[in-house]
Amino acid sequence: MAQPSSLGMGLGLRPVYYPDILDKTPSVDWFEVISENFMVPGGRPIAMLERIRTSYPIVMHGVSMSIASTAPLDFTYLGALKGLADRFQPEWISDHLCWTGVHGVNLHDLLPIPYTSEALDHVVDRIMRVQDFLGRRIAIENVSSYITFAESEMDEWTFVREVAERADCWLLLDVNNVFVSSFNHGFDPARYIEAIPKDRVVQFHLAGHSEAGTHKIDTHDQPVCEEVWSLYSEICHHFGPVSTLIERDANFPPFGELMAELDRARTVAAAARLANQEAAA
Amino acid sequence: MRLAELQMKFQAGIRNSDQSILASVRDSQRTDRATLFAVYYDAYRLRLAEFLANDFPMLRNLLGEEAFGRLAEDYIESTPSRQPNARWYGTRLPDFMLEIPSWCTNRSAIDLARFERALSDAFDAADAPIAAMESLQDTGSEDWPHLTFDFHPSVTLLDFRGGTAEIYAALAEEKEPPAAQEDRETILFWRNDGQPLYRPAAEDECLALREAMHRKKFAEICVLLAFQSGEDVTARAAGFILQWFADGLIARWSIEPGTSLLVSVPEV
Repeated sequence: MAQPSSLGMGLGLRPVYYPDILDKTPSVDWFEVISENFMVPGGRPIAMLERIRTSYPIVMHGVSMSIASTAPLDFTYLGALKGLADRFQPEWISDHLCWTGVHGVNLHDLLPIPYTSEALDHVVDRIMRVQDFLGRRIAIENVSSYITFAESEMDEWTFVREVAERADCWLLLDVNNVFVSSFNHGFDPARYIEAIPKDRVVQFHLAGHSEAGTHKIDTHDQPVCEEVWSLYSEICHHFGPVSTLIERDANFPPFGELMAELDRARTVAAAARLANQEAAA
Repeated sequence: MRLAELQMKFQAGIRNSDQSILASVRDSQRTDRATLFAVYYDAYRLRLAEFLANDFPMLRNLLGEEAFGRLAEDYIESTPSRQPNARWYGTRLPDFMLEIPSWCTNRSAIDLARFERALSDAFDAADAPIAAMESLQDTGSEDWPHLTFDFHPSVTLLDFRGGTAEIYAALAEEKEPPAAQEDRETILFWRNDGQPLYRPAAEDECLALREAMHRKKFAEICVLLAFQSGEDVTARAAGFILQWFADGLIARWSIEPGTSLLVSVPEV
């Protein structure tokens, strides 16, 4: 299966922006939808997505696959996910390299895993089973984390690379999450970027975070910070054109501010592309 | 430690303040492991409280920040989420309030929670077409007695203490809510054009609607209403049906064959 070509610059679809999107049909190349928000029987969410889907490509981004959980895979959830994908035909489906609960509980958080060979085998097996069930490759996103486990046997980036290669899945590289985790755990983000296989990455996320002094927290309630823009520039040079998304989940600014961030992402990506072309000439 | 055990301890650390997971967590260069683990502990409670605040905004207005915060805390501690979709997390909140001594006597708050839950349920109930009133135009008088109706999946009738709808409306307009009454009121909830709607329904309309939702024929509904009131209620029953069409409650209608009962035909 060929790596999907870049969709361009996208935004996370959030209800607060429905009027801006429906009234103005803004120059956004694509939208990312939170899958679970549309796993409802019917009503306005579904109707809005149907309307927006007629004008824009979408990708589906989930928060509850719990791919690293030791609880059994939830095939009711996966069935609903498959049904949603059949209906709305996303370019791809993504979720996070994390777990969200065990013993029937959903903690509604993207929880960290120890980077062990046991966890690696477990995650790889589950991604392959999910991909078999959905009949398509999925994209797995690196999460921000606040702790490291004494049990870990390898770096996060080694774990992520091994997951992608062995499970034969795509990667969604969240630039903010690399930055937040690099601060929290004291690693060089460049080492992370270097380790990620280029031919696996189908999407970037850009988002803001909150400062807690001794650590940073991935809150998606702030503009993308300068350090993340800088890292995004390096990533664009390294990976070339990849679908990029501005992700905002709280403290929603006027739509124009998100469009301005999207324009900045376009400019950064275009500058990197030009520099790469000049270097190759 | 095996992954399953680690996840069990991690979850116990978040839900029950169990400290045993900290043996597997490292301090960072800047702070200690307990501070870092608290990010997950706090985020769990903040996130679930946010779900509840989003689903019960008028209950929050009625109780005030502090009391609503206590309610959310009690609910979160007793009720883990068991659904992939946060949409359903608050579904049990009204039932929880009924079960807990500190909340079960606050009937106004419980009814307001039930009211807001009904609006949420109407908001994303399954889709169905809405039948236009004009579709009845060609129905002959001989067919009216045999009319049956399928309702939009969002249609629900619920009983509350009197004044609950007014309390909700006042809070939504940021006005002082009136006191609840001792009598009962029945509220009809449904969705039209994507918006959850509600209105009080009179006793005889509720009776007619409940019968119609059980696919009773128009003539049978008229007979039941007449039995209740002792009057000829055909015109009133027909008025209910026309109102249901106007509200967008009816998804489909059909003519069920059977013994004819004489009713007068309304103007459509």
